[in-house]
Amino acid sequence: METLLLDIDPHGGLPIYRQVMNQIRRQIMTGQLDAGEQLESVKSLSTRLKVNPMTISKAYGFLVEEGLVERRRGVGLFVSQVRADSRKRLQQKMLREAFGKAATLAVQMGIPEDEAARLFSEHLRQLDSSGKGRERDEQH
Amino acid sequence: MSNIEPIIRVENLSKSFDQVQALKGVNLTIHPGRIVGLVGANGGGKSTLLRTAVGLYLPDGGSCTTFGQEAGKLRPEDLARIGYVHQEGELVDWMTVDQMVRYVAAYYPGWNGELEERYRSRFEVDGHRRVGVLSPGERQKLAILLAIGFEPELLILDEPAAALDPIARQRFLDLLLDIIQDAGRTILISSHILSDIEKIIDHVLILDRGTILRDAGFDELREEFSKVRLTSLNGPLPETLPFEGLLACERSGAEALLTLRALNRSDMETAADSMRCTLELLPLSFEEIYRLIIEGNRSEEAELEP
Repeated sequence: METLLLDIDPHGGLPIYRQVMNQIRRQIMTGQLDAGEQLESVKSLSTRLKVNPMTISKAYGFLVEEGLVERRRGVGLFVSQVRADSRKRLQQKMLREAFGKAATLAVQMGIPEDEAARLFSEHLRQLDSSGKGRERDEQH
Repeated sequence: MSNIEPIIRVENLSKSFDQVQALKGVNLTIHPGRIVGLVGANGGGKSTLLRTAVGLYLPDGGSCTTFGQEAGKLRPEDLARIGYVHQEGELVDWMTVDQMVRYVAAYYPGWNGELEERYRSRFEVDGHRRVGVLSPGERQKLAILLAIGFEPELLILDEPAAALDPIARQRFLDLLLDIIQDAGRTILISSHILSDIEKIIDHVLILDRGTILRDAGFDELREEFSKVRLTSLNGPLPETLPFEGLLACERSGAEALLTLRALNRSDMETAADSMRCTLELLPLSFEEIYRLIIEGNRSEEAELEP
């Protein structure tokens, strides 16, 4: 069980339990947290983040309801094996949300659709190639 | 939750001092395992309520029950389960800090020496100094130590952090989170420094001019209010915005900043989509939410007046 890397802003508008949920959900979707991996205990996480333990249990409870996490009696919480179709749906939803700001800005600035799409593709390619570069470095 | 006996039950409680009504028919229950924040303006009745809960004041009307006992008749064994810190800590000025701690510890068989040591090193409490020469912040630290050292089930804190410097305040809040980790502990904390307590409380009571304005889970309260930036994608925003529960609106051309109440995210998004607008959620602090509740109540009252 690894410690969860979370960044909580108590004055950040979103309730803390939502911040915890969003960040764990993201880590599960990006593979930072693997299926079968055990989640840090409520006590440990709330002590470390210095937030109310009820806040953490609430976040965990909702993640269980969403099916991203499962409770094993007497042991703790584990990352679930998420079905491929629901994984894809969730990933697309998250990506769409992340697009929101960029899309609004593009429309406001009057950037045509094809140009905005080209910029996005370029950006993707850049990230992709630097990712591949890293993989190559690791192999050598 | 309802089948668990509350730690404190207050029913229709009223209390006056020389013609001034400090509490006007207050009802509330405090459930175990929570950190409850009691907030409100000075003079709003917070201290009166807390003092009544530990039996220092007796109700004029209604009742206050703590640990199942009438608060005015708490027995020594009940009081031994309550730690209470208030602004005018009753400390003995001629004693040294060490003497004062030993004096209080002697009353409690359950005094936790290990917790005391940890606290003293964390808060740099110097045992050799005389209580009478301590600064307000140092007195506060000592009062807190005396209230937590015997590990009470119920900790009542009346503006405990007011005299502490920012670092000591942060350490103090961390300490409360340590304390609540043990099952069966309950903390009731009053404060006017809302940014301090918003990180730790899970329930909030807003007391205003002697009455409870809100008694709610903290997350529910947070989600009830939202602040958003609305951006029109084609030209200026329409004259009227189709949002229910609009509390405040600043607008200029194609953009508007809205403060809303009791509207969920998807309803807001539907409304924004219908007018070709995008919506961005902005942070709203507890202090702003508190102000919205107080002001909302004031304007409701003004409407009711003939």
